[in-house]
Amino acid sequence: MVPWFFATNENDLDDGEMKAVSMEGNKILLVRQAGGFYAISNKCPHMDCPLSKGILDEYAIQCPCHDWRFDIRSGEFLDAGEIKVPAYETKVTDGKVYINMER
Amino acid sequence: MDTKKRKEQFRTMFQRVIDPLGYKFSPDEELVDFLLEQEVMLEKERGSPFCPCQGLTGERKHDMQLVCPCIPFHREHFDAMKRCWCGLYVHKDVDDPDELVQISKKEFEESKSKG
Amino acid sequence: MKKVVMYTLSTCPWCMRAKKFFREKDIPFEYIDYDKADEETRKSILEDCRSHGEEMSFPFVKIGEDVVVGYNPQKYSSLLDL
Ligand code: FES
Repeated sequence: MVPWFFATNENDLDDGEMKAVSMEGNKILLVRQAGGFYAISNKCPHMDCPLSKGILDEYAIQCPCHDWRFDIRSGEFLDAGEIKVPAYETKVTDGKVYINMER
Repeated sequence: MDTKKRKEQFRTMFQRVIDPLGYKFSPDEELVDFLLEQEVMLEKERGSPFCPCQGLTGERKHDMQLVCPCIPFHREHFDAMKRCWCGLYVHKDVDDPDELVQISKKEFEESKSKG
Repeated sequence: MKKVVMYTLSTCPWCMRAKKFFREKDIPFEYIDYDKADEETRKSILEDCRSHGEEMSFPFVKIGEDVVVGYNPQKYSSLLDL
């Protein structure tokens, strides 16, 4: 099975924008930053709050609930790298953004 | 939501957080149950499951670092005690939590600078 | 006898154990629950803790001129010559 799933059109997100997408039953946060697309799970590993409601600052997303911050590239929690949100590969083909749901 | 159910949810969520940090719930079940109960109450009253043994100032940046599990924000200090301040969590190798003592932040910093 | 004053939280089991310790030894003490105190008292407790180089980790126990942060019966005893 091909693990790449269509997420959105490239033009739907401006730089510095993000949105929550539902992929194969998983809630994913898709972020466009500095020209790249990044996909991590939208569920905060602390208490499950949706990261898409948080604040994006460069490559850091801050959870709206208790302000934990994660690197959107690796999914790493900035205050303890052992804690991670699942991060997924992305690719852009013909103006369409795909997420690799196999990790 | 009733307290008992929320306590169980805290256990599940927090276990996920503390495990990769090398901690586990204290083997002192009575203490764990009491502390979780306080956290459920604090969440109801103050919006988040704050540490029952550390004081809130009302300043968001300060207080958010006291939401349970607060280990990531006090890592070195807690590692030195092999427990978190309130004792809800201990290092995985701890069998008898009563042998551990609380070291204050100042004592910890002084011992660190002495090397 | 040195004066014993402590700052505590109503939610903290170690604060309860500290109170129990002094009660069982028949040592008079005063305490203020930080979380139940009024704004002004809370401010002064915060300042007091910080002036000792500490954060508000409870119990914060003052025995005479000395300060013990945390539940530490050995230290309480030695400061009170028990
Ligand atoms: S749920 Fe995200 S920081 Fe607490």
